[in-house]
Amino acid sequence: MTKIERETAERFAERYRVGPAEVSRRVELAVIGGDWGANGYTTMAQADRLGRELRLGPGARLLDLGAGCGWPGLYLAASTGCQVVLSDVPIEGLRAATARVRREALMARPGLVAASARTMPFAPAVFDAIVHTDVLC
Amino acid sequence: MLRECRRVLRPSGRTAFFTIHPAAGLTPAQRRRASRDGPIAVATARAHRQLLEAAGFTEVTETDCTAEFAATTRAWLHQWDTNRAELAPLLGEQVVAERQAVRRAQLRAIGDGILARSLFTASR
Repeated sequence: MTKIERETAERFAERYRVGPAEVSRRVELAVIGGDWGANGYTTMAQADRLGRELRLGPGARLLDLGAGCGWPGLYLAASTGCQVVLSDVPIEGLRAATARVRREALMARPGLVAASARTMPFAPAVFDAIVHTDVLC
Repeated sequence: MLRECRRVLRPSGRTAFFTIHPAAGLTPAQRRRASRDGPIAVATARAHRQLLEAAGFTEVTETDCTAEFAATTRAWLHQWDTNRAELAPLLGEQVVAERQAVRRAQLRAIGDGILARSLFTASR
């Protein structure tokens, strides 16, 4: 991992450690239109567009790179019925995603992988779709 | 990373992603500002397309979403200002002030046509 990648991972890990607070949820609902732990610029309407572009549906296998707390991968799994693997470097966000799945008994059971997207620990040709939001910037 | 994406996708697989990038046709000074005021911007939209194609992706499409990007940045700014009294004890006054300053600089850069955000889609 490069210095920039390490620093970015640490900065986001710190944010995810703060945990869900009522005010954060309220702000996210107002800005993004949902409460899936989004902290970037992908709105609910744009997440739905990703689902359509990727032709997601039951049976499809989706990989979300840089998934944070599960936005938009976990939402797309819950809304389209696809299977999802959430991958990110900070483990804190993935823990928050797991907690949500348990708490709300979501049908979507995500696979969780703490890894850098530079070298992915997956066999070739296992996913139907890959999504990432503002990771390549 | 894009080569890795292609490797783990099935033959009919697709990728779709949003990315923030410097606008096209900037001067070197404007590019430096894009890197300073945006996320760590490494590539232009044209470079993203070339990177996708170099990684072996086909049917690459690009949709400009800069107007929505500006609206969302503005919404984060407004909501954090409105809820500052509750956010500051949670995150620390300094963190709130810093992140709002970053968002203001980013919004100015978008308004000045320096920063953009696009949706890319491609097939394996």
